[in-house]
Amino acid sequence: MTTQGKRFFLALAALAAVLAALPLVVTNPYYLNVLNVVALNVLVVTGLNLLIGFAGQISLGHAAFFGLGAYISGILTGTHGWEPWTALVLAAAVVALVALVIGMPTLRLEGNYLVMATLGFNLIVSVLMLQLDDITGGPSGYTGIPPLTFFGAPIATDLSFYWLAWGAVLLGLLLARNLVHSRVGRGLKALHEAPLAAAASGVPIESYKVKVFVVSAVYASVAGSLYAHYYGIITPKTFDIFKSVELVTMCIVGGMGSLWGGLFGAALLTPLPQLLAVVEEYKDIFFGGILLLLLIFLPQGLVGWLEGKRVRPGGRAF
Amino acid sequence: MPRARDVPGPGEGVAVSFGDQLAQYVVSGLTTGAVYALVALGFCLIYNATRVVNFAQGDFLSLGGLMAYSFLGGAGLPMVLAFPLAVASVALVGALLERLAIRPARSRQVMVLIFITIAASILMRGVFKHLWGKQALALPPLSPETPMHLLGATFTPQNLWVLGITLVAIVALVWFFNRTLTGKAMRATAINPSAAALMGIDAHRMTMYSFALAGALGALAGVLITPITSLSYEVGVIMGLKGFAAAVLGGYGSFLGAVVGGLALGLIESLAAGLISSVYKDAVAFVVLLLVLFLRPGGLLGVKSGDRV
Amino acid sequence: MAALLTIKGLSVRFGGLQALDSLDLEAPAGAITALIGPNGAGKTTAINCVSGVVAPNSGQVGFDGRAVLGMAGYKLARLGLTRTFQNLQVFGLMNVLENVMVGMHAASRGGFAAAMLRLPLLRRQEAAIRARAEEVLAFFGLDKVAHQPAEELAYGDQKRLELARALAGRPRLMLLDEPVAGLNAAETHELGRLIVKIKEQGIGVVLVEHDMGLVMRISDQVAVLSGGRLIARGTPAQIQQDPEVIRIYLGGGEEFGLLA
Repeated sequence: MTTQGKRFFLALAALAAVLAALPLVVTNPYYLNVLNVVALNVLVVTGLNLLIGFAGQISLGHAAFFGLGAYISGILTGTHGWEPWTALVLAAAVVALVALVIGMPTLRLEGNYLVMATLGFNLIVSVLMLQLDDITGGPSGYTGIPPLTFFGAPIATDLSFYWLAWGAVLLGLLLARNLVHSRVGRGLKALHEAPLAAAASGVPIESYKVKVFVVSAVYASVAGSLYAHYYGIITPKTFDIFKSVELVTMCIVGGMGSLWGGLFGAALLTPLPQLLAVVEEYKDIFFGGILLLLLIFLPQGLVGWLEGKRVRPGGRAF
Repeated sequence: MPRARDVPGPGEGVAVSFGDQLAQYVVSGLTTGAVYALVALGFCLIYNATRVVNFAQGDFLSLGGLMAYSFLGGAGLPMVLAFPLAVASVALVGALLERLAIRPARSRQVMVLIFITIAASILMRGVFKHLWGKQALALPPLSPETPMHLLGATFTPQNLWVLGITLVAIVALVWFFNRTLTGKAMRATAINPSAAALMGIDAHRMTMYSFALAGALGALAGVLITPITSLSYEVGVIMGLKGFAAAVLGGYGSFLGAVVGGLALGLIESLAAGLISSVYKDAVAFVVLLLVLFLRPGGLLGVKSGDRV
Repeated sequence: MAALLTIKGLSVRFGGLQALDSLDLEAPAGAITALIGPNGAGKTTAINCVSGVVAPNSGQVGFDGRAVLGMAGYKLARLGLTRTFQNLQVFGLMNVLENVMVGMHAASRGGFAAAMLRLPLLRRQEAAIRARAEEVLAFFGLDKVAHQPAEELAYGDQKRLELARALAGRPRLMLLDEPVAGLNAAETHELGRLIVKIKEQGIGVVLVEHDMGLVMRISDQVAVLSGGRLIARGTPAQIQQDPEVIRIYLGGGEEFGLLA
């Protein structure tokens, strides 16, 4: 194994150890709940980071994939009595298909058409969640979603869900890391930097872009399914475009193209609104202001900054 | 998510013919469409100068309405002063956004700049909420509301004001970009920033002007439409997104496209809401957006129909 | 020699400009075919057509007996046709070794699922890719900078990196677009030697180049383009005595040192 590979597994082991020890210290269910939400965000952001950081494409529709996972899982188990894990897999398959339909026509175009298409898609999904109220429960949400089970035992407490969610995060990070350090991962980085040369080297650019978009949507869908079974109730507001913006922001603030960056971004920004709730009146001002400062002065992201990565100016000089 | 209220439809409970209804939908569609066009023009200006999609464009619209409200009610100024002052102050905010957030940005990556405008949008909404509160406010129309009738459609003077002022604004823009030195310099910078810089054009200043103009257009849209819809600190969010859809529909970055896209989107939305179902009115704009991207990514007037890699 | 690459009647128009006018050309395996001509003669356009970057208005391109015109670039790479670019196209943020490993893309297998699960097959393949990349880097004398980001390399090293990437996947034909442009005499000489060694491995090389010294020294056959048309074809010795070629080069004011 390469030194790079060793470093990753050491870091992953360290993370696992910290996660295993945390519940000994953190017993307050409120904090456990925050940690659980962080875990779900990390899962989505890890997938999103593959798309943004490695293929150079932005999606402002990942909250919709997150929401579709949640609603499909919720409705199949709540209304139709499906087994939760089967529902989770089916939800992921449906979301993969939807991502394929959106990605195929837009990703073969030059420029960032995906950001526009995903934005529109998220808005449509929000309207559908609100308006199809006999299926989705409308604005007040869909309730009565059963918890997931583990060999027959329900995962109903904050602590048991903590193990599940962070287990999923570790698995998600491992899979993403494997992808990044493979021929496919190199192909993704290459097509972002010099598409002509990547194609000449044998990288199927269009199909790779679509596939990485689908993979990132599946990460979001799985996180959404887990979310639905954890809370038992889901509302459209959780999955609107502001959530999509928040998810991409976590990627950028943490550090695009670094899997640890996604982890840091989610861990930092998830509790921030709650922390800022102390100054309720000024919450948005603080949140927007902090984001603005980070983006202006640390565009390489926190992990990039810590690693001493220099800012790479790009785009048009003006 | 806040939703734009419909422009007054046909009188409820009154029997109206299908033709009259249709005329009514066209009037209200064109009115909202004109406002979408103004917002789309703002998107277009900033995109041409920087390749950035400015997500604070909708907040310019909110701020325009809110400033007009304060100049009128708070400062007690007459309308002829309050409205131009509102537009001017938002232009200033636009210029400040460029000067304080875009220009000092250490990365010139378009993705980072786009997210700077998103962060600015969150910050601005926070400030609006703090200063003007969460409740709905009301802005009076430009002239007394005496309904008029033409070809079966009922419309108010405000409908005419919206269409008329939008037309004047577009003509003024065309004149500015074709006849004035600053306008030509801005166009040159949009086409080739480095060549323009070599000719002694201050590209930063031109970009700032683009943001100021986009602010003014957004504010104008706000002053015109909020008497018809309603006014709140977040009224611009959904209007901004629809203006964005209009810009894509017309051909993102094209001035004429923004106008055509705005009017077309207003009409499609109004007809779909009237003839099919008003429940999904807010989804119509975004379904149109997706269809355009899938079928004709260059937009209605796009020269290039989406380059292949 | 059987032709590996055959171009027949290739024509390209850019607006009113006839960039290529019914070009016929053949390039055999295990030989260097140079494509020369004044600026704007259509040399780069020709290899852009072959490599699928530019779509010609008419004509045929055959690679190993198979019609490949209109085929996507990545599929050509799988068939064993690679290229370098006149304007450097290295992957700047990736290190030198990774750049060359990308060059192995066409010669390796395994999609997203296999990569994410890190199947044993892929693990073995990864080791083979790395070993081959290191071998190619050593061949080009880039092994000492293997772990540096490509964008930090000196210009000459980046030029060689392009070649290394194109060679890594064991292609059967390489299209080299001005590989020595901007290099000094010593670097040019060294790279010429390496291109000959590539040819000696049985690989066909199509060389677009302005450096006449290099072209005349290492090429097996030379094709001369002018205004999009093929005006002469032959061995370096024949080309140097071709009156039409001399007229075009002297008339065009182009430097053509060895002709004199």
